[in-house]
Amino acid sequence: MKSSSLAVGLGVLGVIFIILAVLYAIGVLQILTSTTSGPHYKHAVLFAVLAVASFVAANFARPKTA
Amino acid sequence: MSLAQALFIGLLQGATELFPVSSLGHAVLIPSLLHWSFRQSDPSFVPFLVLLHLGTATALLILYRDQWVVIIRGFFTAAIRGQMKTDSERLAMLLLVGTIPAAVLGVFLESRIKSLFASPYEAAGFLVANGVLMLAFELLRRRAERQAALSGESRGEQEAHFATAERISFRAAALVGACQALAFLPGISRSGVTIGGGLLAGLRHQEAARFSFLLATPVILGAGVLEVPQLFSSGVPVAEYLAAAVLSGVAAYASARFLLRYFRSGRLDPYGWYCIAAGLAALALLHFSL
Repeated sequence: MKSSSLAVGLGVLGVIFIILAVLYAIGVLQILTSTTSGPHYKHAVLFAVLAVASFVAANFARPKTA
Repeated sequence: MSLAQALFIGLLQGATELFPVSSLGHAVLIPSLLHWSFRQSDPSFVPFLVLLHLGTATALLILYRDQWVVIIRGFFTAAIRGQMKTDSERLAMLLLVGTIPAAVLGVFLESRIKSLFASPYEAAGFLVANGVLMLAFELLRRRAERQAALSGESRGEQEAHFATAERISFRAAALVGACQALAFLPGISRSGVTIGGGLLAGLRHQEAARFSFLLATPVILGAGVLEVPQLFSSGVPVAEYLAAAVLSGVAAYASARFLLRYFRSGRLDPYGWYCIAAGLAALALLHFSL
């Protein structure tokens, strides 16, 4: 499935995941965590991986020029 | 935990991690049945188990070192190009798709899972459920073999009709990956549910095992690396635990070699029956406090 809008959407999702990863890493975000203070590196790494996956998917979705 | 106990659990974990019999279930059940005094709810027990898993992941990395080089190269090539052209590039993307559900579920279910570690009764119950699952996977596989009219053929010929890991669909890879999350329940086997999922997706037994082992490596490795600082900060005997992790890795390597050979023609049934018997025996022993 190739589409410019899908590629842009996935790219934006990737940026959101990066922001979430940073917020978890510096301890600002505490949603869905087992403790209520401090950095959450596991969550940060997860969102970093999701960001990479989103960018890869965006590149796959981008229409290729011949 | 004494050194002997740590080494015993290391050997047990490594030997059972890749067999479809739940290493975690065994690691929770056996110390309880042997009346060992250390508490499995102790904060250092989970990082200890994770360190043992790290030994297993290292063994898998060594076993598949050549394949991982090709897979990692394939991942970057396909990611940059935005297209998959070779089998290794497709396998790299399948592993990424399969790893994400397990990682998401693992991170967000962590606290609930840790609370389940405390009960050997639950581990025994889940071990029985794991056995039933293994038998169900093989039942469905035999049905697929009958539908393909393969009943008269030898096991090797039957297996040849099924696919290699690179041919699994992306949807099936995501489902098999999500199945890994079931293994956070002590008693449910990660390799068991992923091999079973691979069989349902139409893979050969040996290929389902290979896909399961490849899929497990990043999750086990990632979880292990992230837990290591906790191990050092909690004042546990790191040297003893590391020795246990090495033993675990050696046992896991031998197990993987055996299983890949076994699954050329073998099935999951013996492991299913073993889990049911072991789970029921453990429940009886726990109930009667023997």
